[in-house]
Parts: sequence; C-alpha cells; structure tokens
Amino acid sequence: MVLELQKPRPVWQIMFSTHHTDVGYLYLVFGITFLFMGGVLAMIIRTHLFFPGQGVLVSDSATFNRIFTVHGLTMLFLFALPVANGIGNILVPIMVRYKDMAYPKLNAIAFWMNPVGAALLWLGFADTTWVSYAPYSIIRAPGPAADMFIFGMKILGISSILSSINFVVTIVKCKHPDLPLRRVPLFAWSMLTVSLMTIVAMPTYASALIMMLTDRLGLSGFFNPFAGGDPIAYLHLFWFTFHPEVYIFLLPAIGMMYEIIPRFSRKPLYSQASGVFAFVMLGIIGFASWGHHMYSTGMDFTTKVVFMIGTLAAVPASGMHVFNFLATMWGGRIRFAAPMKFAVGGIALFFSAGAGGVLNSAMPLDFISHGTYWVVGHMHLFLIGTIGFGFVGMIYYMFPYVTGRMYSEKWASAHFVLMFWGTVQTFFTQHLLGLEGMPRRVYDYPTEFTSWTQLNQISTIGAWMIGASFAIFLASLIYYSAKGKEANMDDPWGIGGKYYYPVAAKNPHGGHSGY
Amino acid sequence: MECTSKQQMKTLIAVSIIALVALALIPQIVHAQLAQQTSAKQYINLRAEVWNEFFRMTTAAFTVGAIVSGTMIWLVWRFRESNPKNKAPTKWEHMDDPTAGSYEEEGH
Amino acid sequence: MGHDTAEWVFVAIVIAVLCYVGVDSWIVQKAVEDVPADAEVIKVTGQQWYWSFEHADGTKEISTLHVKKGHAYKFEIYSRDVMHSFNIPDWVVFEDAVPGHTNHAWFAPDQAGTYPIQCREYCGLLHYNMRGSLVVEDDKS
Ligand code: HEM
Ligand SMILES: [Cu+2]
Ligand SMILES: [Cu+2]
Repeated sequence: MVLELQKPRPVWQIMFSTHHTDVGYLYLVFGITFLFMGGVLAMIIRTHLFFPGQGVLVSDSATFNRIFTVHGLTMLFLFALPVANGIGNILVPIMVRYKDMAYPKLNAIAFWMNPVGAALLWLGFADTTWVSYAPYSIIRAPGPAADMFIFGMKILGISSILSSINFVVTIVKCKHPDLPLRRVPLFAWSMLTVSLMTIVAMPTYASALIMMLTDRLGLSGFFNPFAGGDPIAYLHLFWFTFHPEVYIFLLPAIGMMYEIIPRFSRKPLYSQASGVFAFVMLGIIGFASWGHHMYSTGMDFTTKVVFMIGTLAAVPASGMHVFNFLATMWGGRIRFAAPMKFAVGGIALFFSAGAGGVLNSAMPLDFISHGTYWVVGHMHLFLIGTIGFGFVGMIYYMFPYVTGRMYSEKWASAHFVLMFWGTVQTFFTQHLLGLEGMPRRVYDYPTEFTSWTQLNQISTIGAWMIGASFAIFLASLIYYSAKGKEANMDDPWGIGGKYYYPVAAKNPHGGHSGY
Repeated sequence: MECTSKQQMKTLIAVSIIALVALALIPQIVHAQLAQQTSAKQYINLRAEVWNEFFRMTTAAFTVGAIVSGTMIWLVWRFRESNPKNKAPTKWEHMDDPTAGSYEEEGH
Repeated sequence: MGHDTAEWVFVAIVIAVLCYVGVDSWIVQKAVEDVPADAEVIKVTGQQWYWSFEHADGTKEISTLHVKKGHAYKFEIYSRDVMHSFNIPDWVVFEDAVPGHTNHAWFAPDQAGTYPIQCREYCGLLHYNMRGSLVVEDDKS
C-alpha cells in the first residue's frame, strides 16, 4: 500500500501501527474485501430469483433467508462504515492539519473490533433480516446464529461509537488553531456530522440489543408479547437508531463528492456555508423521522402525520447538496476522469433515490410500497447508487496516492458504464416489481404472474452487469497497483493546481500548499 | 460568460416555477372531475384514492426529475473540458488552491 | 449564510413541492382511514405460515376468504406468533399483524373475482409461501 508497493514494509508493521494512514488502509482493505463478499451474496440472491418455482442455486428458504440477511449486514456494517472510516482516517487529520487522530490507540482498537464482529456475523450467518424485528428474533430465530448476530452487532456498534468519539475530538479539538471550524473541508464536516449522529443514535440500539439478548435467554420480556412485552417498542428503538444511521451511511459519500467535484471542475465549491448548513440540518432533522418505517404497525393518524412532516423536513437539506454540486460544476471546465464520472453518476442516482423517498413518506403510498420490492429498489439507489458510486469514485481518487501508480481510465470507464447501467436496470425495475405487489425477502415467487417473472429477470441481468463491473474493478485494482504507470504525485490527473489532499499525507514535510 | 450562465440559471428557475405551478394544479382539476364521476358509489373507492395519489406524486417526481436530470445532462455537455467553448482556462485556475474556501469568499 | 438568491429560490421550490406532497397525502390518508360505519368485521389471524379468518357470524376459513361484492368489510388483524403483514395487493389492503396488538384495515370490493392474499413482513422460513386467496362473490341474497 502507500507507496508500500514501491518501498515495501512488512505487513505486520501496518497491522500493528496506530498511525492514522495505516489504520485507514486497514479499514479500506477490510471494507473492500467485504464489498466483494457481500457482492457475491447479492449475485446469489439475484441469480436465484431468475426463475420462479424454487428458483435456482439455493435449495432451501432457510439458507436464502440467511444469505440476504448477511448480505445486508455485510454491505452496511462491513463495507459502508469501514470504507467511510478508512477514507476518514486518511484524510480527516490532514484536512484539519493535525499529526494523527486524537487518540491513535483507540483508533486501532476501534478498527480491530471490526474483524471480530465480522467473524461473528459470518460464522453465525443469522436469518433474522438486518432489522431483526422482535418477536421473530426472540422466539423463533435459531441460535446460535441469532446470538452471534447480537454479539457481532454489539461489537461493531461499540467500535463505531469509539471511532466517532475519535473523529469528533480530532476535528473539534485538534484542528489547527488557524483553521476556523467553518472552513474545515466538507468531507471532514461530513465525518463530524455522522460521528455526532452516531454518538447520539447508537447507544439506543446497543441497549435494544442487550434487551433482545436477555429476552432470548428468557430472563426478561421487553419485546416478547408472550412475556408481557411489546414488539413495537423494539421497532421504535431500532429505527430511532437506524433512521439517523441511514444518513450516517450516506453523508460520507456526499462528503467525498464535495472533495471530488470542485477538483475536477477546476473551480471553487459553490458554497462552503451551504454545505455545512445542509450537513448540520440533516444531522438534526434526521432524528425526526424514524416512525416512517412504522406506518403500518398500527400507528394512529396524528403520529403518522408528525413523522411524515419530520421526514419531508429533511428533504430540502439533501436538495441543497444536489444544488451545491450542480452549481459548482456550472461554469467550470470539467475533466471527466473516473472519480468525477462516479461522483456525477452518484448525484443522478442520489436524486432518484430521494424522489422515491418523498413518495415513500406520503402516508397513503405506504399501502403500496412498504415491505415490497419497491423498498429494495429505493434503498439500493441510495446504497449502491449514492454510497457505492461515491465510495468507488473516492477509491479511484485515492488510488494514485495509495499505490503511487495510475489506474487505467479505459477500464474505469467500462466499470462506470456497466455499473451505472446495471444499477438503473436492476433497481428501477425493482420499483415496478414492488408496485406489482411482490414482497421483499422472499425465497420464491408464484409462477403464475408472468410480469413478476419478466421483471425479476430484467433485474437479475442488471445485477450481473453490476457484478461484471466489479470484476473489472477488482482486476484493475490488483493489476494496476502492481503494473500501472507511475503517477505524477503532485497532480495525478494533470488538471493543474496543487490541491490534491492526499499528497500532503504522503509527504507531511514536503511543502505542498502549506498543508 | 459569467453573466450568461447566471441568466440561464434564472431562466431555468423561472421555467421550473411555472412547470411546478401547473403541476400542482392540473392533477387537482383532473382529480376533481374524476371524483364527480364516481361519486355515485356508496363507499369511497379506497384503491382508486391511493393509486390516484400515487400517480399525482409520480407526476410531480418525474417533472422535478426531468428538470434536474435535464440540467445535469446539459451541465455535463456544456462544461466538459473537451467542449470547444471551454478551451480557455477558467479564471480560478491560476490560483494555487482554487478549491480552498468557496465561491462567495473568492469575491465572485 | 452566504447563499445567493438562486439557491434560496431553489430551496423555496423544493419546500413548495414538499408542502404539496404533505397536504395531498394528509387529505387522502384522512379519507381512506375512515372506516364506514356499516362495515362487517372479519377477524384475521396470521401465524407461521398461513392466514385464518373468522366472519361476524362465526364462520371460520383458512387461507381462502370469501366476501360479497358491494359490502364494506373491516379487518381486525391479529398475530399468534411473530410479526406478519396482511396484504391484498389488488385492493390496497395492507396492515401489519403484530402479536399483542389489534390492527385494522378495511375495504369494499366492487368487483367480483379471485385475488391473491400474501404476507408482506418477514416471518421466517416459509414467509414467501404465506399466501392465500380472496374470493369476491356477487351478492345474490
Ligand atoms: C451488486 C449490487 C447489489 C445487488 C444486486 C443487491 C441485491 C439485493 C437484493 C436482491 C436484496 C433483497 C433481498 C430480498 O429482499 O430478498 C438486497 C437486500 C439488501 N441489500 Fe443489497 N444488493 C446490492 C448492493 C448492496 C449494497 C452496496 C448495500 C449497502 C451498502 C446493500 C444493502 C442491502 C440491505 C441492507 C438489504 C436488506 C437486507 C434485508 O432485507 O435484511 N446492497 N440486496
Ligand atoms: Cu428512515
Ligand atoms: Cu411473512
């Protein structure tokens, strides 16, 4: 890695390091590995659903349920969070001009909890779904998988609280005194926002997990209706954490786009202030909408209205990000290198996802959409369309820095075209499947609805295109990090200007624009 | 150059406002007429109510979507560096770090 | 905050669209949640992995539900084990079955025929197969 390919260091030196860039690489390697593991599961799911009537590939529903559960958990907690933390670790200290993270050892500890959590999730292979609603997760989900899931999530939750504390302290307390907080680059602002949100949101879920565990052991009955508890309480605790958490998954990707778009537009950001404002707004209003996941649980009209308003209130802030991106590009001279392609593709899909989200929040439409493939399509426009595209763009952006070499623009273009087309085909189609009534989390679907079969096949072919695009990605990551042309580290894309942040990290003492 | 893009932005916004007003009104009128035709029924038609709402919302979403994606496609086409109109470097490119700080602070 | 007018106008448009969405769905939701007073109650019970029904006159059915065209029905939805979700996609009937709670949904079919019933909340092994059918019959009485 860094230049490790040019000046190799023994691997254990990186593994036992507490330096922020080393911990960052560990996070990145970990996250990218699990992106591919989760991706393999996604391919299994979609291939299986190509035909109705027991499908192909997976021979029983128990296994299938475990596969989509672990796919979801992997992508969210072992890919999205670690990659955000990895890039955050590498860039945030540089952006705030500090020598390292505030607590380097804590940083390494937070990382090393991840493999433990990952092992528990994968060895357990639970079937609870990633939301693990009570009382299924308590009275029916088979152990030890479900118990391993609880401990795995517990560990990952603690890890994310620890790393959040670290980011908050690094940014707020350790930033250079000459650098006012409002001038801190927006990627660092996104990490600050999500870290604060994690610290507020995560403990709720952490305690719900403990209650779930004691319920499973029969010691308590918090969420178990057959022991006097209430499953709805679990849903509230879960979504109080996880609606904000969806912004926690999302905002780092938005922050990465803020890093990429001005660079490749050769233009200053349209408005730093509005970016900061929109992050802070989302960070606050994100806590006002968790009930939109529970419209159909028997919620009364007034409560629904409150949560609908809370949900809609968060939309203008997301809109401001889109506006900021487009206004930044306006009047620039844009180089469409790979990072920019992925960033712009990501904005388009982010917008589609957001429009779908507004529809979701309209209460009556819940009758049509909730619990169907519509939701799967909608959330993946965020998950792969925004987070996936933002992260992949950022990985291409970091590539010259980490390897000292250049990837191939040609293969990166192929990756982009296949992935964009595939994402649209897979997940737009799933919206239609949802409108036709196909429930999500199903192992099989009836043979008599031909349109279900057709739509599923279209969606699956799209998924294969995404799969192929990631095969290209993996191959070029490996090949070009060993064999790529040497990169010009001052200006890898030849876009002019000395404003490539990562270079400062490579060369802390080599006077690049004063960083 | 600067001026025209500002102007274009303003035209775009004006067009969007008009489109959105139309968008808000037309479905209402259509809906009111449909409702009159079906008012002979004894109960409200639950599925028609919900699906009509769905179609009104998708009309809104697709209209906004057309504006946003149209703008994006135009932006990508117009401001790509390979566009002959973009031969000359922008006025920000001479700066050592054009992306530090933001638009408004650079005295735009 | 340093936004310029273009951005404020943009934000205002977004807010206007959102207000439209909010008001419209408020009106529709209010209308569809209003259960007709003469609706006949049908008790619906979800359990792993089938639906059972009990009519107001005490008749019980499993998996297949018979109703009459032109009448309004109110579903009282229960669960005997884990969460399920009672769904008749063609009639936009959808509400969760939550153990320990009683939930409601209603409809008034105006078209005879057979329609699928399904479960739309993950409930374990055979969730995918927790299907039934609704038969709407012409009212001959
Ligand atoms: C190659 C791209 C992907 C494909 C084809 C794909 C496919 C799917 C499918 C078909 C399901 C639905 C399973 C079902 O309801 O039966 C699913 C669920 C899910 N996916 Fe993906 N996925 C992809 C990428 C991602 C990414 C990048 C993320 C997150 C960052 C993600 C997160 C999730 C989550 C959270 C669920 C819900 C799991 C559950 O229902 O418990 N997926 N995926
Ligand atoms: Cu939410
Ligand atoms: Cu079910």
